[in-house]
Amino acid sequence: MSGLAIVLMLFGLGLIAWLSGRARAAQLERVTPAAAVRPHSRPQYHGWYVALWTILPALAFLSVWSALSPGLAVQAVLADPAAASLPDNEFVRSAIIGEARQLATGQIAQGFNPQSAALVEPFRTAISRYSTIGVVIALILAFAGAAWSFTRLKRDFRARTRVERVVMLLLLAASLVAILTTFGIVFSLLFESIRFFDRVPVTDFLFGTHWSPVSGNEDPDLFGAIPLFWGTILIGAVIAMIVAIPLGLMTAIYLTQYAPARVRSWLKPTIEVLAGVPTVVYGFFAALTVGPALRSLADALGIAGASSDSALAAGLVMGIMIIPLVSSMADDSIAAVPSAMRDGSLALGATPSETIRKVLIPAALPGVMGGVLLAVSRAVGETMIVVMAAGQSANLTGNPFSSVTTVTVQIVKLMTGDQEFESAKTLAAFALGLVLFIVTLMLNIVALRIVKRFRESYE
Amino acid sequence: MTTEPNTAPKMTARGVNVFYGDKQAIDDVSIDVYRDHVTAFIGPSGCGKSTFLRTLNRMNDTVAGARVTGDIRLDGEDIYAPEMDVVQLRARVGMVFQKPNPFPKSIFDNVAYGPKIHGLATSKSELEGIVESALTRAGLWGEVKDRLQDSGTALSGGQQQRLCIARAIAVDPETVLMDEPCSALDPIATAKIEELIHELRGRYAIVIVTHNMQQAARVSQRTAFFHLGKIVEYGATTDIFTNPREERTKDYITGRYG
Amino acid sequence: MNNAPASPPVGAAASVESRWASPEMRARIRRRYGAERRFKAVGLIAVLMSVGFLAFLLGTMAWSGLSGFSQTRVALPVDFRGSGLSIDASSMTKAEAMAALNQQGLGDLLQLSATSAYGAQGESYFGTAAKESAAAAIYDDPSMLQRQVELALPATSPIDVAAKGEGDAASEAAVARLEAAGKLSSGLDTTFLSSADATDPTVAGIWGALKGSLLTMLVTLALAFPVGVLAAVYLEEYAPKNRLTDIIEVSINNLAAVPSIIFGLLALALFINAFGLCQGSPLVGGLTLALMTMPVIVIAGRNAIKAVPPSIRDAALGVGASRVQVVFHHVLPLALPGILTGTIIGMARALGETAPLLLVGMRAFVGGTPDGLCSSATVLPMQIFLWSDEVDRGFVENTSTAIIVLLIVLLSMNAAAIILRNRFEKRW
Repeated sequence: MSGLAIVLMLFGLGLIAWLSGRARAAQLERVTPAAAVRPHSRPQYHGWYVALWTILPALAFLSVWSALSPGLAVQAVLADPAAASLPDNEFVRSAIIGEARQLATGQIAQGFNPQSAALVEPFRTAISRYSTIGVVIALILAFAGAAWSFTRLKRDFRARTRVERVVMLLLLAASLVAILTTFGIVFSLLFESIRFFDRVPVTDFLFGTHWSPVSGNEDPDLFGAIPLFWGTILIGAVIAMIVAIPLGLMTAIYLTQYAPARVRSWLKPTIEVLAGVPTVVYGFFAALTVGPALRSLADALGIAGASSDSALAAGLVMGIMIIPLVSSMADDSIAAVPSAMRDGSLALGATPSETIRKVLIPAALPGVMGGVLLAVSRAVGETMIVVMAAGQSANLTGNPFSSVTTVTVQIVKLMTGDQEFESAKTLAAFALGLVLFIVTLMLNIVALRIVKRFRESYE
Repeated sequence: MTTEPNTAPKMTARGVNVFYGDKQAIDDVSIDVYRDHVTAFIGPSGCGKSTFLRTLNRMNDTVAGARVTGDIRLDGEDIYAPEMDVVQLRARVGMVFQKPNPFPKSIFDNVAYGPKIHGLATSKSELEGIVESALTRAGLWGEVKDRLQDSGTALSGGQQQRLCIARAIAVDPETVLMDEPCSALDPIATAKIEELIHELRGRYAIVIVTHNMQQAARVSQRTAFFHLGKIVEYGATTDIFTNPREERTKDYITGRYG
Repeated sequence: MNNAPASPPVGAAASVESRWASPEMRARIRRRYGAERRFKAVGLIAVLMSVGFLAFLLGTMAWSGLSGFSQTRVALPVDFRGSGLSIDASSMTKAEAMAALNQQGLGDLLQLSATSAYGAQGESYFGTAAKESAAAAIYDDPSMLQRQVELALPATSPIDVAAKGEGDAASEAAVARLEAAGKLSSGLDTTFLSSADATDPTVAGIWGALKGSLLTMLVTLALAFPVGVLAAVYLEEYAPKNRLTDIIEVSINNLAAVPSIIFGLLALALFINAFGLCQGSPLVGGLTLALMTMPVIVIAGRNAIKAVPPSIRDAALGVGASRVQVVFHHVLPLALPGILTGTIIGMARALGETAPLLLVGMRAFVGGTPDGLCSSATVLPMQIFLWSDEVDRGFVENTSTAIIVLLIVLLSMNAAAIILRNRFEKRW
């Protein structure tokens, strides 16, 4: 029986439990005279109580079982006489077993290792045996839970309190998902990075200037990430910001200070569309239209080393993508400056632009800076534009028309194509991911702190 | 104390109406303001006295949907005429706000801001002279002369308000409008501001909006009583407070409503 | 200023008056207004540039993509008599009939007809798409097997591209000849929306990727929405002020800003290597995107819940509702439009996301439509990425056309969010 069907069946049982619990409570309510005090909980809470007892223990068991049973099945297969001929090599062994499992569950039709075919039959029996055991125990738990909770129903049973306690636990569990995700990120990055740094020293990675990982080669000299960091900074923190900061800031100024309300109500969402365009579209645009155009421009200007995968193409397009982010942060910051400042300046006879340049912008500067940091963090972590438009070669160059590569491009490059999970090459991707995570985290924390302090200073 | 002015009025308003959208906030107000007099606007809150004050330097222009009709003149010039330059007008008619609103800049830069944008100083030393004399006239020089580079927002509330007054008079305006300048201050700071107003009288035409009748009696020579967007009574302060012509004025100053 | 001042300047005012009237001051004022106009113009230019970029981007995509919805057809006279082709249309399904026709050598017959009609190079005019189109036509009207007919069949990619004005010289020449002979026509490309990826651009379509996106989004929504809403409810309504709550808040705010590719690394290490879930499937892709989308929904949900005034809660508590009832009966229904708006925006972002899916194996070539949560699949943005790497001009057109489809879906989602917000936004 497939997992989905079992879960559906459980919920069906839960529905029956809910209906019968409710009916039982309604019946209990009727037997006693109307004059008596009304029962603590309405009938549907009794229903929920029974339903929860029916579903939750069985579901909890199933999730544990689904984690345990593959291991049990493998053990059963290994105990089978057919497994006696398996080679001792751990790696080959697990490859054959994995293949046998895929054959048994029908994920693949043909095995690569001939030995795996012999294991298919034992595997099939083991899997079906353990899944039957699981289903039976789950059903027993569901019926037991239902029966036990049903007998507890009385007229004055405080079903609502108990149901609400479960709801609260559910809410708490949902909130913990965020923590689990964060820890998952930190641990998986750290764990794999540490394994990488066992092979390649941290200092060689962080300060080396030569980057060209090759499969099977673990020479630390090939894992110097400086060119990647430089490319990331050049595209995300320099070129993209040169585009996004002036355009975003001036856009915010024009929309908040000059544009009539009607125009503003149209222009603001229009500009925000820029932020809603998927990055793969920007990447295509950069690679197909902007890159070649910039290359011909560079050739016309006689700039050497121009490439159609240029830092400039990726950076320009990324800057365009970031405009709405900078503009909305600047917009918020300018709006947070008390209007008394503006009035004070206008009342002295300053023109609107003098007021903006000399009073509003200086006062809003911390907020704007926070927004810029967030924008940098966003640009540094952006992947698709640079994957499609920035190129793959790790060059340490200041020429924006030449091809550079970034941290995210290399993560994608290392992780796709022919990969074996254990090699230094794939582990390097996690080390790069760790650096990226730490840098963006710092930028975000600093940015949010600046913005928060700025808001508080005007409250 | 002179009760009747003997010079020509500095500012005149005739038949002024102010609308916010469809709502009329000021209804047919006419008044004269004299240079050597402090003029006080009193009245219950929401009576339009602040609104009217803001028409005198066209700060209402910054409010969307506000519309002013009627005739307001500064030295005989129509300030709502199309050829009137609003930037110049506001330099000539300065304003001090209800809540002190120093810019988040240094004390020096706060005061120097106006002279700088209007180009009133040709050299740094001249600018320093302007700042010093404005701060001196605002009675703040002694307190801040050693810390001119500190932020203006670090001063106490009363000092901030005097800084705002210094900022306003640094451009050497002809008229200073004060919109309840003491309402956010404690009594000691209020006394200092009132003293300052006395000292500034004669040099600038001063118009002060206040909800505090004692303050109006203390600082002003002429008082206008506003009610529901109209001027009920306007005359010498002593007359208004000792011998009001209108019943409503009398009720208000004796505290029967407001 | 007034031409005739009403009264002469009085006393000290005279010097002040003359200061403003001095030529230097007038020049200065003019300069200041010049600066004002320039500043305002710079602002307007910035806005226009931003809008212009958007227009240029959308225009480029529309320009090169809209033609992807049409296909070039070349007329081909075919004589089916004596070809030996036969199908039983009444008992066979369309797929069976098409397979049978292929088996019986429909392709060879078409190539033969092409060479006899257009000479040796005629072979290069018709490919897989033509064969499928011809087979479908035969299935619809089996009687044509008994006579000679002229079919308008989809041309191969080089001809198609050349007919749309971007092909190589040889194809351009062929198109010119066909055009002159009146053999060219064009029609709506129905296969683009209904077929999956293929190696031939004239046959490749986006239905496979669309279905993959749909399944992936289903998983994402099913996980991120309930968890996000429940977490938002907990944090906003019940969470005590303690360290745990602080950690949860910090985690959520940071997760919302973590680069998407990091989620890809997490998913690779966790879902594929540790849990052994099916690689490259809508299940894993949906899980990955759910982790990314959840913080967005939590943040939107909290803001929506925060906007419900405390008076509503007090009123409900006042009639004896429990704290859980207050939230589920009163607060959540009132906050729902805001939560849904946030959810739609989060889902739109997930739908356009590519980077994390690259790492969980969704970049493989998938030549069919995915039929389950665990089968190999690709998603729309990934299809765009994969096609953009192809050299064939026909794929460039396909890429742009797929982008148009993606943008239409995303923009309508965002528009729905805006409408929802405007319609249900309550000001308390």
